[in-house]
Amino acid sequence: MLTVFRWWPVLAGLLLLAACAEPRQELPVNTRLGGDFTLTDHHGQPFRLADQEGRVVLMFFGYTHCPDICPATLARVSQVYRNLREAGDAEAVQPLFITFDPVRDTPAHLSEYVPWFKANVIGLTGSEAEIRAVAEQYGVVYLQSGDGAAAEYDFTHSDYVYLLDQQGRVRKLYPSDFNIDEVTDDVQSLL
Amino acid sequence: MMYKAFFNGLTGAALLALAGAASADDLVLENAWLRAVPPVSPTMAGYFTLRNDGDRAVELKGARTDIAGGAMLHDTETTEDGQARMVHLSGITLEPGDQATFAPGGKHLMLMKVASIPEAGEEVKICLTFTDHDDLCSDFPVRREAP
Repeated sequence: MLTVFRWWPVLAGLLLLAACAEPRQELPVNTRLGGDFTLTDHHGQPFRLADQEGRVVLMFFGYTHCPDICPATLARVSQVYRNLREAGDAEAVQPLFITFDPVRDTPAHLSEYVPWFKANVIGLTGSEAEIRAVAEQYGVVYLQSGDGAAAEYDFTHSDYVYLLDQQGRVRKLYPSDFNIDEVTDDVQSLL
Repeated sequence: MMYKAFFNGLTGAALLALAGAASADDLVLENAWLRAVPPVSPTMAGYFTLRNDGDRAVELKGARTDIAGGAMLHDTETTEDGQARMVHLSGITLEPGDQATFAPGGKHLMLMKVASIPEAGEEVKICLTFTDHDDLCSDFPVRREAP
């Protein structure tokens, strides 16, 4: 009996650990947003989301003339990718950057922009109508402001990052200043 | 005691001598940096904290640097429905004791028409300009991540 009393703190600790190690909740499928689309990648080739089947996708909308949020968010997405690459999971993940500024963000321009982040990011552009349609599928709102004629304009825009599973379904949205470890963990939970 | 004051003074001077820091008699600029961006980018964002240790208000109006065709004070506002938008700030008044923080996702110094984007690790001299106050210049290190 005395032996049991001596060991009960250890048993209590083990029970506590077991409680903490509950299997993590599966990320719910967002049925309101998402869907397949076709745009043009930064090599000038057609890109269809459905062709990414089997890979987890991290997707972000922005534009390259944005100096603050867009490069910061791409840098964070890239860090998630590098974390996953170190864990040997790079092949299972694809970061996407969709511009809503097709006039300035041509495939040629994107081809000089996205590789800099060293995270296998695919830059996507298209016609204004194509991009608008994809934005609507994903609930992204954007509005051009400033002088378009003088090419001095900005965008007011949603800045969520989307996590899509291997079937292209939206599983989670993050704010642009997301926690890198949280997103890394979420991606790995889908693998 | 004198030794302590002397060494404290030395430490302060050493800290201010580091890149990303500067001070006038009454203004202290710290944590200054520029976000590294791809060379094809036409714009860069700069961040810093500015404290008014003086006894009169000063107004930060903007900045100048040789690498950019223009510089503006901007704020990234996030609306209730999650939309981000950039707003031009015509000036920021710092009362005595006030501190302005320019940080990612919020206020930032926007450099426009940057002819040649500096690489991470380089330093760029940027002078903050004021109403009724001398410019305050510092070397902003270019970094991929916030310090």
